[in-house]
Amino acid sequence: MNIADQGILLVEDSPDDAKLTLRAFKQSNIANPIALVNDGVEALDFLFARGAYADRSGKPLPMLVVLDLKLPRLDGLGVLKAMRADDRTRLIPVVVMTSSKEDRDVVASYASGANSYVRKPVDFAEFVEAAKLLGIYWLMLNQPLPAHFAK
Amino acid sequence: MLAAVGVIASAVWSTYAEVEDARRQRRDASDLARRLTSLKLVTFEYALIRQERALAQYREISNRIDGMFAASRFQGPAQQEIVARLRSGRTLANQIFDELAAAFQGETPNRADLEPSRNFEAQLLSRLSILQQDNLSDVFRLTDLTTEQSNAAQQRLLVVILSGLALIALITLGVSWLIHRDVLVPVARLQQAAQQVAAGNWTTEFGAGGSDEIGQLTRDLGRMTQALRDALARVERSNQELAALNRELEAFSYSVSHDLRAPLRSMDGFSLALLEDYGVRLDDEGKDFLRRIRAASQRMGHLIDDMLSLSQVTRSELRPEPVDLGEMARGIAEALGQRNEGRKVHWQIDDRLTVRADQALIHIAMQNLLDNAWKFTSRTPEATIRVGMREQDGRQAYFVADNGAGFDMAYADKLFDAFQRLHHAGDFPGTGIGLAIVQRVLQRHDGAVWAEAAQGKGATFFFTIGQPEHEHRRPGHPAG
Ligand SMILES: Nc1ncnc2c1ncn2[C@@H]1O[C@H](COP(=O)(O)OP(=O)(O)O)[C@@H](O)[C@H]1O
Ligand SMILES: [Mg+2]
Repeated sequence: MNIADQGILLVEDSPDDAKLTLRAFKQSNIANPIALVNDGVEALDFLFARGAYADRSGKPLPMLVVLDLKLPRLDGLGVLKAMRADDRTRLIPVVVMTSSKEDRDVVASYASGANSYVRKPVDFAEFVEAAKLLGIYWLMLNQPLPAHFAK
Repeated sequence: MLAAVGVIASAVWSTYAEVEDARRQRRDASDLARRLTSLKLVTFEYALIRQERALAQYREISNRIDGMFAASRFQGPAQQEIVARLRSGRTLANQIFDELAAAFQGETPNRADLEPSRNFEAQLLSRLSILQQDNLSDVFRLTDLTTEQSNAAQQRLLVVILSGLALIALITLGVSWLIHRDVLVPVARLQQAAQQVAAGNWTTEFGAGGSDEIGQLTRDLGRMTQALRDALARVERSNQELAALNRELEAFSYSVSHDLRAPLRSMDGFSLALLEDYGVRLDDEGKDFLRRIRAASQRMGHLIDDMLSLSQVTRSELRPEPVDLGEMARGIAEALGQRNEGRKVHWQIDDRLTVRADQALIHIAMQNLLDNAWKFTSRTPEATIRVGMREQDGRQAYFVADNGAGFDMAYADKLFDAFQRLHHAGDFPGTGIGLAIVQRVLQRHDGAVWAEAAQGKGATFFFTIGQPEHEHRRPGHPAG
């Protein structure tokens, strides 16, 4: 399977931020299909093919999850914990992307198993830079581990 | 108490005087007895040998006895009566003796007519002797009486002393009972209550207390405790308010950091999108407007970030450890150089600038001071930045000095307030938060920060860390 075919799941409640993130990815030449969900519950439904996303069962899991922290219903850290507690999603790289510069958010994110923490800058040009780095790192270099390393 | 002691002392004194008096009377009585006995002996001797010497002796003793009677101070009715009887007895005895003496002297050697006169003499002598014996036994009675009197006085003295002692004991007992009731018991109660308060039991009641000084003290202590209790409650309340405020501030800055930046991101992002995607349809002015929107959004983003870091400096916990400011400064200098490769700055950073401070916080302060030095020398051709330490008033003042734009000292006190700037954003960009952060970091380290500068001649920022230590006040210490 081609890397570019594997999807990215973007979990973001703000339509503006979602639009800008998609734009940044596009400008960074990240061509992977991107699925967008609006809160934490939807994110888990998507990943575990439940509820509105029941039809996703059997389809491949995303190879990267880009997660906002502040989300309605279930927040980003909740999603992260649920993912790390399930064998199916335990090894999917998760990049936490948030406005917050608060230390406790960074610490909590890494403690809950985030692979990266990106602070969304106000300057969009900087954001595109960050997205570019993300794409290179997590999509090109950080290939998912072969199944037998999974334990 | 004093009055009682006075009464007792005077009672003892007067009784003692009585005892003395009785003793003297007794002495007088026994003297009399002795003299009367000698008088009797002399009378007898004179009757036997009829010599002038015995006669003279009689007269002398007799005169003495009379003198003693004249001076005698016997008291008591029985004594007076005896003395009266003795006086008349003495007078009678002297008369008889005189008659006898006259009879002896009128005697002739003629034995024939001796007989009748001898009879008369014998009569006189026997009367005299009976009289003298009576006198003697009267004197002995007197002696007995005065002895009794003296004994009685001595006993009275004993009684007076004993009852005085008893009285003093009673008074002492009474006083100590009063002290116990009015002083010791309230003091013990007071002490107990004070201990309770000291143990942190602020609700302890001190009670009403009596009308004396201790009662007053009790009430004062009660009032003091009440005042302390109120003050403590106030402190407690404001502590709670402070804690609530802190939580609120925390929540506030959390929400600011998340929610206030999001709209700015949209403004900046979509302005840029507009420029990129629709730039061709805009003239230069339209593009300039969009750039201004972006610049303003970004500026506000920086303001928010700076505000947040200021509040973070206040909120974060202090973990002091040895920190080498020189090493830290070199690291920051290197990063500054990398970020601005076009600039050339001479750095002079001293060694051994170790302080005890919170690594992260002091780094924020140093970063801000060096950022400023770097920024305000950006228009100086031979930019030099020095980091070092100098002894000042026995304290170690660390400094960051530059030869940049400087400022007018007239505005120096404003410098450390948040958002206060002495330069225009067009000349030197910035938000005016940096020095406020520096000051807060140093305040949290019990230190201080101040500046010395002149317009166009550079600026030096001094700071101290921790309370002054006296070991640095050694005289003759070389100035740093
Ligand atoms: N090294 C310096 N030389 C001259 N002026 C300074 C220096 N450091 C600070 N200042 C003055 O103090 C003001 C406040 O500094 P600061 O709080 O760091 O804000 P900012 O750096 O964002 O302007 C600056 O705007 C400047 O006017
Ligand atoms: Mg500054």
